[in-house]
Amino acid sequence: MSSTTSHDSTHALPARPKELAMHFDTLHQQYQSAKLGMWLFLAQEILFFAGLFCAYAVYRGNHPEMFHDAHFFLDTKLGAINTVVLLCSSLTAAWSVRCAQLEQRKGLIATIVLTILAACTFMVIKYFEYSHKVHIGAVWGESFGIVDAAHNLPQSLLDAYPGKSAEEVAALLKQNNTGTFFSIYFCMTGLHGIHVLIGIGVYLWLLSRAVKGHFNRKYYAAVDNVALYWHIVDIIWIFLFPLLYLIG
Amino acid sequence: MADGHAEHGHNEALEGTIGHVSNPATLVKVLITLLALTGLTVAATYVNLGRLNVIGALAIASVKASIVALWFMHLRYDKRYNFFVLVSAFALVAFFIGVVLLDTTLYQDGITEYRAQHPAAGK
Repeated sequence: MSSTTSHDSTHALPARPKELAMHFDTLHQQYQSAKLGMWLFLAQEILFFAGLFCAYAVYRGNHPEMFHDAHFFLDTKLGAINTVVLLCSSLTAAWSVRCAQLEQRKGLIATIVLTILAACTFMVIKYFEYSHKVHIGAVWGESFGIVDAAHNLPQSLLDAYPGKSAEEVAALLKQNNTGTFFSIYFCMTGLHGIHVLIGIGVYLWLLSRAVKGHFNRKYYAAVDNVALYWHIVDIIWIFLFPLLYLIG
Repeated sequence: MADGHAEHGHNEALEGTIGHVSNPATLVKVLITLLALTGLTVAATYVNLGRLNVIGALAIASVKASIVALWFMHLRYDKRYNFFVLVSAFALVAFFIGVVLLDTTLYQDGITEYRAQHPAAGK
């Protein structure tokens, strides 16, 4: 049908932005497609974590006393600090999208760096929590066994068993399969931690692109979608924090 | 919400910008609300309400998650289909966990009884 026109077809086409992939008509269409793809991925992430939340629900439903005993080993203060750190990083992530939309390159770089720093802070705190648990023997499954119970059992746990010595309480925990709680704890927080590490990696990639000035008001889907991923990581922690640290 | 009007009042978006640009005041208010709810959920553990403690903690977490989704994740201003993707994911999780929990406590007595009769089993 182009043979009926005298013009060469390439002349009739408007100039295509360099960021526009060949299979899209407009940058807006490209942006909406990328975003829908990201949301579908996030739905998969929620279902992925659902299996662990289900395991948690089943074991807590059957053994509430084991969860109650085990939660004394978790440091509520560190958990709360990490919640605040992640919430603040969600603000900087949301702000980075705004900076990209408004073409504020310095602001974009600053908010990405702040998000990465918050993510690293979260992982450092997590490292201290993990290493302490491994050190005292509050670990997964059959490996569970408190080392030097007199020194390492939390006082609040001993208060819950008046008249029992620390060694007796430690033996009781072992007998009640308290290691199952820590299997669930390490799987849930570990998988979440892996997501935080991946988030750091993706934000470093965004940082290099932001420094090169790749983003503008019509082309920032990468910043937006990474922020969406980061918010889902935050939402999962919003549920993990009360379920693991605030059993009381 | 009242913010919606204010945001339309002075739209900072550059000409031709794709998508909704968040208002800085709104973002800060969202963070403050989330921090306040975190404080509330920690404070609630000092009150013993039995089963209501877990339900309350999950309710507060759900409110926090909704706030993050609606404002930080722009769902309030976004295409409706993105909203349905998220809601259907959570609906499937609720269905999944709900169905599993229907009969999960029915077997524990049998396990306890079996363990009592066979002390050496499973060790």
